[in-house]
Formats: sequence, C-alpha cells, structure tokens
Amino acid sequence: MDRLKDKIFEVFSQSIINCNINNKNELCLEVDPDKIVGICTYINTTLDLPLVSMFASDERSLIGRYGVYYVFSQRDEGNLLILKTGVDSTKMEIQSISATVPGAATYEREIKDLFGIDSMGHPDPKRLVFHSNWPSGEFPLRKEFEAGYKPRLAKEDIRFTKVEGEGVYEIPVGPVHAGIIEPGHFRFSVAGEPIINLEAQLYFVHKGIEKMCEGQSIEKCLYVAERISGDETFTNALAYCQAIEKIAEVKVPERARYSRVVFAELERLTSHLGDLGGICLDTGYGFATFQFRMMRGWAYAVADELCGMRFLRSVCRPGGLRKDFVAGKERRILEQLEKIRAELTDTIHIIRANSMFIDRVENTGILDHKIAKDLNAVGPGGRAAGMDCDIRRDFPYEAYGQLEFSVPVYQYGDVNCRMNVKIEEAFQSIDLMQKAIELMPFGEVFEPIPPLAPYRFAFGLTEAPRGENIHFVMTGEENTIFRYKIRTPSFCNWPALCHAVKGNIVPDFPLINKSFNLSYAGNDL
Amino acid sequence: MFEKTRKIIKYPRLTQDSPKRPVNTDHIIGKPVIDNALCDCCSECITRCPSGAIYRDESTKTVEINYNECVFCMLCEEVCPLGAIRMTKEIYLAERNLEEIGEELRRKINKIFGRSLNIREVDSGSCNGCDYEINALNNPFVDIERFGIHFVASPRHADMLLVTGTAVRNMEEALLKTYNATPEPKLVVAVGACACSGGIFKDTYASGNGIKGVVPVDVFIPGCPPRPQAILHGILKAISLP
Repeated sequence: MDRLKDKIFEVFSQSIINCNINNKNELCLEVDPDKIVGICTYINTTLDLPLVSMFASDERSLIGRYGVYYVFSQRDEGNLLILKTGVDSTKMEIQSISATVPGAATYEREIKDLFGIDSMGHPDPKRLVFHSNWPSGEFPLRKEFEAGYKPRLAKEDIRFTKVEGEGVYEIPVGPVHAGIIEPGHFRFSVAGEPIINLEAQLYFVHKGIEKMCEGQSIEKCLYVAERISGDETFTNALAYCQAIEKIAEVKVPERARYSRVVFAELERLTSHLGDLGGICLDTGYGFATFQFRMMRGWAYAVADELCGMRFLRSVCRPGGLRKDFVAGKERRILEQLEKIRAELTDTIHIIRANSMFIDRVENTGILDHKIAKDLNAVGPGGRAAGMDCDIRRDFPYEAYGQLEFSVPVYQYGDVNCRMNVKIEEAFQSIDLMQKAIELMPFGEVFEPIPPLAPYRFAFGLTEAPRGENIHFVMTGEENTIFRYKIRTPSFCNWPALCHAVKGNIVPDFPLINKSFNLSYAGNDL
Repeated sequence: MFEKTRKIIKYPRLTQDSPKRPVNTDHIIGKPVIDNALCDCCSECITRCPSGAIYRDESTKTVEINYNECVFCMLCEEVCPLGAIRMTKEIYLAERNLEEIGEELRRKINKIFGRSLNIREVDSGSCNGCDYEINALNNPFVDIERFGIHFVASPRHADMLLVTGTAVRNMEEALLKTYNATPEPKLVVAVGACACSGGIFKDTYASGNGIKGVVPVDVFIPGCPPRPQAILHGILKAISLP
C-alpha cells in the first residue's frame, strides 16, 4: 500500500489534493480533474493496474459537486486504488480516459446516460443504458430525479456501427431469442458465414436498481441485491453484506465465514454445471447435456436441503447468516457432493474422448490476451485468456484465506479453454465445500450490525461464478443507502465477447455465448 | 459408446411423477400465512416487507398478504413480534385471472390445445431466476415434454406465452410485438412476482408493475422464483389439465 502511494506521489504529488486510507485496503486519492488522464494512464500502463470500476455519484448535497470515482485494483497485493475527482454542476464534463484505458469506454458512456456528465474526447460517445425511447435531457441518477418518475416515450436516433462492402449484410437477432434466455439485441455484420463485427445492444432488462436503492433502508437493499442476477443471488448478497460489514466495522463470526464459503461454492458449482450442459447442448450433444442437467439437479437438491431455497435467497445478511444452515446436515451434504464428483468425473471422461465434440470447441471463439487485458475480462472468460486473477485469492474474503485452492489459468482463450477452466473450478468447488465443512468451527453465525455512520463508503468484492464482482456502497442518513454502484462480471465481459466472436461463423455464436454465459440482468441492472 | 450405454442403464428414469404424486416437501419453503387470531396489527411486517406485499385490509380489519407481490424472503416471519406469521410448505399458488376469459371460451380453447401445447418464453425484465426455473422444466426431473408441452423458438409457432419480468420500459414494445405475433387463440401466463405485480422492482423509472398493463394475462404464478413444479402446475392450470 505504502509503496503504491509513494510511486504515485513521486510523479503526481502536485495533482493530489487529498489522500487517505479507507477500510485497511482502499487507498483513496482526491485528484485534480485536469490531470486525471495522465494519472490514470500512468496507473494503468506503467503500474499495470486494471481499471475495475468507474462511476459517478451526485454529491452536490455534501461537497457541492458530482464525484467521479476511478477504481483500480492492485491484484498481487490485494489493494484497491480509488481516484476521485469533482465535477462542477455548471460544467458537467470530464476528460475521457478511454484512449489510453480502453476498459473505461463503457463506464464513461454509462455515466453520461445516468448523470449527464460528458466525457470529452470519447471515441464513441453514443448511448449505452437507454434506448431510443428515452428522451434526451433526463438523467435518473441525479438526486432531483424522482425514483418513480417515468419520462415520456421518445423517438431518438441511435445507429448501429455500419460495415460496408460487397456482399456484406446484417443479421439482427433479438431481443426475444429462440432459447429460454434473457433479452438482448445482437447486430451481426456478416460476409458469407464469418462474422465481421458484432454489436450487442443490451439494457433491455434495465430496471433502475441503483436509483431504486437510494434512500432505501439497508435491510431492504439486501433483498434487492439478491435479485440483481438470479443465478448469482448469494454472491451479490455477499458482496453487499461485505460492504456493509466494512462500514460497520463488524467482524463476522468464524462459523458464518466458513458457511458462506459453502454457499458461495455451491452456487459456483451449480452455475458451472449449467454452463457445461449449455456448451454440450449448443454442440448438439444431447447425452452429455442431460448428464449435466442431472448433476445440476442434484446440486439444487443440496441447496434445497441446506436452506429450502434453490437460489440461495434469504441466506446471507449483514453480520453473518440468517441461521446455522449447515448444522446437522454435514454428512448428507458430503455424501451428495461425492455423488456429484463421481458422476462429473465420468462425464468429463466421456466428453473429452468424443473427438467430434472437442473439434467443435477447440479454436472456436478465441479471446486474445491483449483484448482480455485491455477490457479487464474477468472470471472463467478472462482466466481462459491468460488473465491470472481471482478475488478469492487476491482479496481473500470470508474463510478463503484459510483454505487451499489453485486458480486454473489457460492461455489460448477458446471455448475449450473456458470449458476446462469451468471443469477445474467445479471440482475445486466440491473440494472447497468439503474442506470448509470439515474445518468449520462451532459457534454463532450472526453478529448484529449497529446503526451505520452516514456518508461512509466501502467496497464489497466477491468472486461470482462469472468472475470479479464489485459493489460500492455509500451510506446515507438514518441507515439508508446514499449510492449503490453494482459492477458485476458480466459488465466487463460483454465487450470481450463481442471481440471473441469475430471471424467465427454465425452458427458458432450460441456456443461462444454459452461458454461465457453472461448475465443480461447483471449487466443491465 | 460403452460408457454412454452404461450411464443410460444406470439412470433409466429420473422424472418425478408430479403433479400426480406430491413432491418431497421436507425442505421446501412455501407461502407465508398470517394467523389472524395472534396478529394484533402492529404493522411491523407491513413497514418492513421489501416488496410491499403485506397490507391492512380496512374492511375486515386484518393484515393480509398479496401473494402476487410476495418475494418469499421470510422477513415477515422473522420480524413478527407475536409469531403470527409462519412460512408454510405450500408452493402451488397459481391463480386464474377470472376477469380475462369466460368459462365457455376457455373450454373451447383447451379442446383445441388438447395434449399439444407450444410455449414461447419471453423475459420482459426479470433477474433471470424465473428463466432458469423455466429452463429446469426441460431437465430430466420435471420433463415437461411428457405432457405434450414443448418450448418453441418463435411466437408464431406458439399457443402460450410464458412471461417473466416486470415489463420494463425497454421490453414493453418487444413484449407487445411478441404477443401480436402469436396466433389466436393464445394464452398468457405470468411467471414470478415481477410478472404478476412488479414484485420488488415495482415503480422505478424504468420498470413496470407487472405484465398485465401490457398484455392480458390468463394465469398468474407467484413466487420469487416459483419452483419448476409450481410453474408446471400453473401451465397445466391454464389448459385445465389436473
């Protein structure tokens, strides 16, 4: 932490207005808005720290200006570096850092849509969150915007990127797809079979979660956090709870920390089994699909037995867990996990021996390491393309620090690599659950949270099944939320997916999409 | 090949015989119920319910739960100082929308659908929980195809729309277009608290209050998310199968 601070002060001591350390590992620097491009470029390229989140916050009632936060992650030492600049409400613009920090492009577009803060020099400043039906000049995350106000339906002009040339045509797909999945619109530019360009128009399921949480009680927002993305219920709730626990400076009892590992890994196992089944389904491999669906059904049965909820809802809460879910069920769960492990081993053996299947997944949907790095691709998608990152190892939370596991990293970035990462992680999830249940001490599972001090913030970080998950919570008066910024792994990986499909044939798109298995709801919020 | 055959012999049939035989409800958490004899209307549950599903019925002077809005979070059971609320194991909560369709017409429609029903699923802004549970209808445990019910790729092939989500601003038009593309006669089933009432997401700048404001609904299936068996029960209810 100190070394990082010194390195930045060496070069930019003139531009730093204020510096403090928050929650032990969050280095917060307030910097001069005119120097932001230089500082961010230095941090991203010279210090090699990825931009993991970027958002604005309407702090006119506190500091008289909007605040824009740039969050960088020092993964090898487990620190977050937060740069904050102020934006005058008369000026409403920031310098775009997208030219040198490519991952910032989507964040800057999001900030423009939600706050109306322009990014000067942005290479592609078109709308991200809102579609053509949203009138210009309405910015929902400004504090004066009423949460329930629904602006009139407008007809603004939004264009897709146009690829021109002989024989080039477009295939529009969605928002309602052929499978049972969430809505999104994909615009393929194609010549013959190979895809030249894919533009994904998302935010069809934008519900306004961040605005909705503002001013609501800490208690209610937990239930909203659980419903950010259905199959990532526990991990989102956990990230939210961690942020609240950091603000309250409450230490969660050991037993709850181990139990949380069990639930988080169970969610990962369920998700990965579903993904593996999906990959098999999209290659037309029916037998394997149903094997994985069967195992996924068993994983759900474990969840049912633990807490009565297939999606692990109402399990976590700030300060620990709702009740001691694991007590008395250890043996039964371990038995079930052994059964899943044996079946998974057999099935993996069968599918890996099928050359036709391997032929489909190999060399399909290659995500280049350089692109993965630039866009901060996370989770299995990133790890398959050489991104060695895992929040469980880099920012050990709950009991992960005391448990042994390895992080699978592949270099080639194709569907096969992503599949292998998921297979290895599924086995490790079973191991981790078994270890956590064995090592779990007896005791309490809940520590009450006292009323929270207003206008304090903290980050909650978890490794969701899809990757790095970062929640920023800032408290308001009387135990409410002032600002809640959710950055799920899907937000980082959607742009990466659009690059991974280039050069592939259109029929392989569902396979590539499934190998990433991104959440629309988690991206759109 | 040998391995594959071995697996097929090892697991000949996994399908649970629901709804004929009840599913194992040992661990299941179903709907909350209020014991009015114990309740003293302190309204603690009303103020703390995250989705605003609990209300005071002024005509009967009792506290009631609107299951279409309930997200089954169990908070009411926890906060009730008198222990008047408890979670039951009841999961089959699907209700017909009585306003929408006459008995006579329904009998006619059901005759047409008989034992072949094609379903198109539309997500109009859910958290994807309901969509995963609808996907689970195709898994070997529930296996909806044994009823002659299939999921199809286009609304033009469908007899029923299975809609999840709150009908958010950006999906309203797509939902309406999908509805219009579905040939008559057609059924619409709302799956989950979001589709039934907006659930926990109601009344934000971008989300709607359930799909009934956009398309006519025949059956509501409450739950957050409803279990696959509960969804199956709702679908069968819509076509009047037991």
